[in-house]
Amino acid sequence: MTFDRRRLLQALTAIPVVGGVIAILSPLFRYLKPNDKPWQIFTVAPDAPAGGAQIVGTTRSLAKPWDYFYFTYVQKFVQYDPTGFKASNIPGVAIRLPRKVRFANSQGFVGYRGETDIVLFQRICPHLGCIFNYEPDWHNVTAGYGGFTPPAFERHALMACPCHFSIYDPEYPADPGNVISGPAPRGARYFEFHIDGENIVVTGAELGGIARIEPADAAPPARGGEHTRAPS
Amino acid sequence: MEAVLSNLKEWLRDRKEHLDLFDETKTARQDNPLYIVGGLVWLSWMIVIVSGVILMLWYIPTTTAAYRSIEHITLDIPFGWLVRGMHKYGADMLITCITLRIYRMYFAGEYKKPGELSWMILFASLVLAMISGITGYLLIWNQRAFWAAKVVLTVPTYYDEIPVLGNLGLGRAIAFIFLGGPAVGQAAITRFYAIHFGISAVFAILAEIFFYRTRRRRLNLSPLAIGLVLGFLAFVSFDRLTEMGRWANPNRTPLPILSDWYFLALYQLVKYMPPLWAGIAPALLIGYGMLVPFMDRTRETRPLERPFFFVVGLLALFYFIVFTALIMLNIAVISRDPPIILGVTFVVLALAFVWEIAHRRRKAQRAAQPAPRAVPARPAPAPRPAQAG
Repeated sequence: MTFDRRRLLQALTAIPVVGGVIAILSPLFRYLKPNDKPWQIFTVAPDAPAGGAQIVGTTRSLAKPWDYFYFTYVQKFVQYDPTGFKASNIPGVAIRLPRKVRFANSQGFVGYRGETDIVLFQRICPHLGCIFNYEPDWHNVTAGYGGFTPPAFERHALMACPCHFSIYDPEYPADPGNVISGPAPRGARYFEFHIDGENIVVTGAELGGIARIEPADAAPPARGGEHTRAPS
Repeated sequence: MEAVLSNLKEWLRDRKEHLDLFDETKTARQDNPLYIVGGLVWLSWMIVIVSGVILMLWYIPTTTAAYRSIEHITLDIPFGWLVRGMHKYGADMLITCITLRIYRMYFAGEYKKPGELSWMILFASLVLAMISGITGYLLIWNQRAFWAAKVVLTVPTYYDEIPVLGNLGLGRAIAFIFLGGPAVGQAAITRFYAIHFGISAVFAILAEIFFYRTRRRRLNLSPLAIGLVLGFLAFVSFDRLTEMGRWANPNRTPLPILSDWYFLALYQLVKYMPPLWAGIAPALLIGYGMLVPFMDRTRETRPLERPFFFVVGLLALFYFIVFTALIMLNIAVISRDPPIILGVTFVVLALAFVWEIAHRRRKAQRAAQPAPRAVPARPAPAPRPAQAG
């Protein structure tokens, strides 16, 4: 292949053509992905959410070790859509541990300043986004989640995901909530919280994953949806 | 450069001439039931398209109304159960027939020259049918669908954690584009609806163009066979009323939860693998399927004459069945199983490789010797290279 005058002119003509194609494609891409700014191809940083302080429960419901309750924390994401933001729910679980721990994980996220025996985990599985369960009896984990038998020192309440059987230990030494079996690449994500009198106040949530929940869908009708009016 | 291009053009022209999408050139072999699956693929596809369009008359693609509208179709509307049953079981039949045809073409070596392009289109059609399946069953908005959609579209986010490349935001962009947002919600149902319909619409037009140009018959089955298929699907729709499942509840993942049957083996595989590999492994499987005509370079079509690729096919079939059985029995001890699976795979592939080498050596020796005229009573001649095409 020779690079003669004809080729050069062809190459020069191609530049505005390619530019024009990109100019047309950029808005098309944003049509598919409207949280991109103009001329931005991919969002590298996840959309930063804003949550604010929310009381999720009281310490009275966590009187004995391994007591727990489920709760929901609502966050808002900035979105380039008509409403300007998108709300999303994070289901969580609050657990009373039998001993005090430092509530910080190996990813460097600190959920609570100082030592605490109350810990708050996000129930969105860090693997592929299903909602995992708190199982007060580890026998249920062995029976229902593929046959995993925990080692002797972990035979207490565990958290387990129904989808791919990742098992989390809420009392894992030095990394509460770490994964002890299954394909999850890391432990359960944390909430950032403090305790104000009796109230457990969540002030933030560890980032990560797209597997959030839109609140509009969070209220299914009773009886699994048979013959009741849909919420609108 | 120009030579490569013209070679490629020549290759494409030749393969296009031998293109066979639905076994319409193999009608002479229909005494073997495996050669009617091509026709069945076309027939079930058309059943799915027609019943799907009828379903669209009543279906409402919103998170709040979808479930109830399908319930309405199934239980209230006259013959709604039939249309929905034909759509669901027709789709199952479509995937079954594509899979059977893939195995037939694989074990019969039909992907070899000049069948490469037919094979690649067939294999791509399996992937597209599975995408249609997963986008289709989200539309019911039940628990199975919701969690399948969420799991499948969380997998791409791990593409942002490929070690050397780093975070390009590509995986997250893929997930966002399919979901229309950071979560499975109204935007996701709208987009899945568009994709679900769009795939069949676009490829039905392409198939029509193909038939128009080649002037071949679309459906090479006898009216009796067609009637049997339609009757069977109608009977199944009546006898096994399509399930509704439970309304999607984003705050609760049910235990146990299973996907549609054709994803079960893959689902079990995802349990055993770190999530980045779970995203890459299906891509590698698809890559193997698409490229196998170019890896298996011999002209042999009989399975025992190409032991390695024969064993790979058997292993794939074996794992599909075993993984499906394991997940149905709810067995997955993640600390115990993967080494066994890896060990079995490695040993079987190594043995297959040894078999292939030994087979080739034996064949080369036989070719080097003069023809064995001293033994006239030999029943079968030594295997000759099968004729190309």
